[in-house]
Amino acid sequence: MLYTVNKSPLMFGNLRSLLRIAPADEPILLYEDGVYAAVSGTASEELIRKALERHPVYALRADLEARGLTNLVEGIKVTDYDGFVELVEQHHVVPWL
Amino acid sequence: MSETVAVLMRKAPYGSVYTAEGFRSMMGIGVFELDISVVFVDDGVYALAKGQNPAALDMKPLGEGFPMLPDFGVTKFYVHEGSLQERGLTQDDLVMNVEMVDDTGVAHVLRSCGVVLPF
Repeated sequence: MLYTVNKSPLMFGNLRSLLRIAPADEPILLYEDGVYAAVSGTASEELIRKALERHPVYALRADLEARGLTNLVEGIKVTDYDGFVELVEQHHVVPWL
Repeated sequence: MSETVAVLMRKAPYGSVYTAEGFRSMMGIGVFELDISVVFVDDGVYALAKGQNPAALDMKPLGEGFPMLPDFGVTKFYVHEGSLQERGLTQDDLVMNVEMVDDTGVAHVLRSCGVVLPF
């Protein structure tokens, strides 16, 4: 399953909540405000580091660029829309809105 | 993938339109005789709490609708036990009997369905 998150981890508990449910090795895709979770040096950095120990974590390039986010936590895989589509084709999607 | 639908309820009622819209979709999916599972996680468990009375908000009570869903073919209800416990609630506080599931159980139900509709 592909778990998707579109909310900032600093404002909402979506990412924290899904990390409790998502089984290890299942991919997580950060998009829209969800990409703030990928940034290094925030108060939520430890959360994404824990996520990276158990899951592949993708962040959507268009949303990173739109927000001027470049300093990402090591291990985050940046993907474009084609990559997003591939992930959706390969997995059954669980939108953690 | 199987032709089954999971409705994933994660929002509290009354603060947004999600619970009401989730309920409407459950009725619709049930009436069309699709296989449906309903999963309550996080604040979504509040939708099932007894004693809701939103009259002063000029809204309809949402909780009391759920026990009627089996009449529409919706019979599989799962509640994330950890979410319920965090909110100081137990099965006795809910409007109907549901199956309690742990973290793994939630993932298992979602995985068993072809489509997940989030509310």
